[in-house]
Amino acid sequence: MGKRRYGALYAWLALAPALALIGLIVVFPILYTGYISLTNMNIYHWFTFRIIGLRNYINALFVFDSGFLSALGVTALWTALNMVFQLTVAFVMASLLNIEKLRYRKVYKTLLMFPWAMPGYVSILLWRNGMFNSQFGLLNQWMERLGLEPVRWLSGDVSAFLSSMFVNLWLALPFMILIMDGALQSVDRSYYESAVIEGAGWFKRSVSLTIPAIKPIIAPAVVITLFTTFKQFDVIYLLTRQAGARTGANLHTVLTYAYENAFVTNNYGFSSAVSMILFFLLIGFSLTTKLRARRAAQ
Amino acid sequence: MKRLWLALAAAIFIILPSCDSAVVPTGEQDGPVELTIWHDKEEDVAAVLQEALDRLQPGVAVRLERKSGLTEALKLVGNNPGAAPDLYFFAHDKMGVYAEMGILAPITGFVDAEDLNGFLPMTLEAVTYKGAIYQLPIYFETLLFMYNRALMNDSQVPATTEDLYQFMASGAGGRFGFIEQHSTAYYSAGWIHGFGGGIVADDGTPLLNTPETIAALEYHLKFVKRMPGEGEYATVNTLFREGRAASTIGGPWLIPAVRQSGIDLGLAKMPAVAETGLPLAPYSGVQGLHVLRVAAENPAKSAAVKEVLALLLNPNLGIAMAKASGCAPALLTSYDDDEVKNDEMVMLMRETAESAVPMPNIPEMDVMWNVVGNLLADVNMRGRDVSEAAADAQKQAEALILAMR
Amino acid sequence: MNKTAKRAGLLLLNVFFIAVCFGVLVPILYAFSVSLNAQNSILGTDFSFIPRALTLENYRAVLFDRPVLLWLGNTVTLALSSVCIAMLVAVPGAYSLSRLRFKGRKSVFNGLILLYSFPAILSMFAIYRLLSPIGLINTKAGLIIVYVGTMAVFGLLNLKGYFDSVPVEIEEAAQIDGANGLQTVMLILLPLAKPALIVTGMMVLIYVWNEYIYAITFMTGADNYTLAAGLYSLQATEMSGSWPVFAAASIVVSLPILAVFFATQRFMVSGLTAGGVKG
Repeated sequence: MGKRRYGALYAWLALAPALALIGLIVVFPILYTGYISLTNMNIYHWFTFRIIGLRNYINALFVFDSGFLSALGVTALWTALNMVFQLTVAFVMASLLNIEKLRYRKVYKTLLMFPWAMPGYVSILLWRNGMFNSQFGLLNQWMERLGLEPVRWLSGDVSAFLSSMFVNLWLALPFMILIMDGALQSVDRSYYESAVIEGAGWFKRSVSLTIPAIKPIIAPAVVITLFTTFKQFDVIYLLTRQAGARTGANLHTVLTYAYENAFVTNNYGFSSAVSMILFFLLIGFSLTTKLRARRAAQ
Repeated sequence: MKRLWLALAAAIFIILPSCDSAVVPTGEQDGPVELTIWHDKEEDVAAVLQEALDRLQPGVAVRLERKSGLTEALKLVGNNPGAAPDLYFFAHDKMGVYAEMGILAPITGFVDAEDLNGFLPMTLEAVTYKGAIYQLPIYFETLLFMYNRALMNDSQVPATTEDLYQFMASGAGGRFGFIEQHSTAYYSAGWIHGFGGGIVADDGTPLLNTPETIAALEYHLKFVKRMPGEGEYATVNTLFREGRAASTIGGPWLIPAVRQSGIDLGLAKMPAVAETGLPLAPYSGVQGLHVLRVAAENPAKSAAVKEVLALLLNPNLGIAMAKASGCAPALLTSYDDDEVKNDEMVMLMRETAESAVPMPNIPEMDVMWNVVGNLLADVNMRGRDVSEAAADAQKQAEALILAMR
Repeated sequence: MNKTAKRAGLLLLNVFFIAVCFGVLVPILYAFSVSLNAQNSILGTDFSFIPRALTLENYRAVLFDRPVLLWLGNTVTLALSSVCIAMLVAVPGAYSLSRLRFKGRKSVFNGLILLYSFPAILSMFAIYRLLSPIGLINTKAGLIIVYVGTMAVFGLLNLKGYFDSVPVEIEEAAQIDGANGLQTVMLILLPLAKPALIVTGMMVLIYVWNEYIYAITFMTGADNYTLAAGLYSLQATEMSGSWPVFAAASIVVSLPILAVFFATQRFMVSGLTAGGVKG
């Protein structure tokens, strides 16, 4: 009994530094946002705000209109497609990279990490101006060389969605490949070793052995990626909606929608209320999916 | 493995003590009064200003500090004496937001009212918010009509927008007779003003569904159809710089790069809208120094602030800036200088200043950029009906403005 | 399967990877080509990967006209400190979550995951309110706290996932042999979880390396910038910026990360060997 209580003490002690930092940098802002959401902090009361109760929440409900609902739908589709592609492609790539005889794997791996080694906004600008631009973007120069009509990649809703998704995959795959690679390195090599060249056998083996083995290892990273994909802002915003660079596509995720309909107002109390509602929505969303997944498993 | 841990431990011991090397300056010491000015200007402009400010040594030491993301940072630190700058050097259009937040002090506490008569009226109008003056102007910028002489000769320069359209339609200037950032609020404002419309009234009412604004957007559409679908700056500027577009509307900041690409650049007055007779009247931005309240209310600093502002009343600063990077000075007397007088671009901006409309400095404008951007995208790129889109945009703008409070 | 077929398969695999790498690198090669281009244009309408007029001027401008070495120094300090501290707090925490059984373990784990549901767009303000009274704004220590705090959640969760995969039996065997708790962790668990440590460390490193929002907002003066913040201030906007210089700077910023990544690859092998200890 005594040993056990000491165990708990040790456990909390070991966790304490990490939890303290998380408390300061991650939890405190959530609490603070919750507090501000109850005040009238806006540019007219920037330093002299006071508590006004739930009024911001009542106003915030107007943000969650039909436009928000369609943004929510787009975001769900966006998240699902991105996750499916990310996980499949990353798993295949990581498996191939782990074939024992592949001598230059370090070089390939390093090169594949390149998209990740640049700040995101730099890469997105590169894609927007260098690749997708309809006048002088590389894609259209290639189209022209092939005798095809130039395409305005980012202006139609569907093509903008697909282009954004492609860029998002490009940005996110290095991380996922690294995670999968690390997981494969951590499980018993016999699970996947030299299995790939054997073709059909590889697929069966992956499903029955490798994937179950790495699942618990990659699960946290996958869940985190799920959330960040859902909250994705930069890719869609910078590619299609940036001030002065709108492309005509009307593509919104929940965050770009909340940004254009709440955060731009400089009304911090109101924006905080919108943030908190989004937060609770996402928590509710993830709890129900978890419950459903558990029920399905039973 | 062990070595890795040792290396890590060593690294921590080496790094940690060096961490707090950034020093937060404090007042209350002997020697010169130290003032900090935040800015986000090009180096040429900053260098001229720094040189002028250095003349206040040894009494006052002014540090011009480059700050990216200045507008957001001010919201955070604006009232914190330890972290806020004493002054900042920026365009006038954010002053309403900061004045409402209570972080700005009117400059009239430091400058004699009659000294202000020396400024171009347009610049004074720009820096006045709710009757108080919050910025001492240094220079201003507006958009100019630019053309490539290889594709549009001087006699072809359009006097009216219809002339311009004819030129575009005739194909005389090649594939693109004229290009501009057609779906950006800042650029379309010129067209809207040309029809007597506006984006937002002085009292903060959006003007998007007025007949004037709708007429402007409808008229503008036929020009947009003859321009590339993308209207962002990289496309427009690159096409013009590569000689693939005959004319454009652009800011003075574009000119060095255009000249560098070997284009024989012509500058001209904005064409007038045939229907109304009004010239396309672009927004103007007035750049100058704003005083933060934390500095104004600090007795140790206010005298030094006064000295700094007094320096800006000297026409030589504007002259030096005009020479260094083609800025159009805000002080009328700066235009007495011969070199300034002979600078085609500066004089053209001076002329455009007569019709240019200062960007609204009211806080409501902050949400308008975005709404107007969406409206333009709807009309120009998605082909939505103008009146319908304008009505929606008006509604959205009103909702956002309501949400600001 | 015979030897030639295997060799052909391997050749095919190499061809595949070369193609994939090229595909992935197209935008970066594009940036590279722009950075070497003597004309100050974002691009001609006739692009080729090998610029017609070659110049290193843009790299010279990046390396010598700006305090890039100073920025690099700032970034390295921040990145190394953040990685070290993040590992120091995350490893024991993750060990605790993975190995020790105590009340509240599950809730801590689930709570950490749910933290990711918060749209952090407005967090900057709260963090400023927190760090400002204790004088940590405009200091590297302040940024390090922000970075470590942000990445600690990922560190805990990710390391826990990996620790779970190391069989407890190995540790128990070591303890029977007389090793104490600390020794078991240092000598048995961590060597086995090397890939996890590297993945987590890389993640923190890259986050800090590329982070610019906190760096530009909390730090004042060009001398205190990090590389990413400096790059941001160099941005090729309409008013300033030259694309070739910006492109050159982007390449310069990413190279050190790739070098580190390449160098750590050889540690990416777990101590666990095939068929060794499982079951």
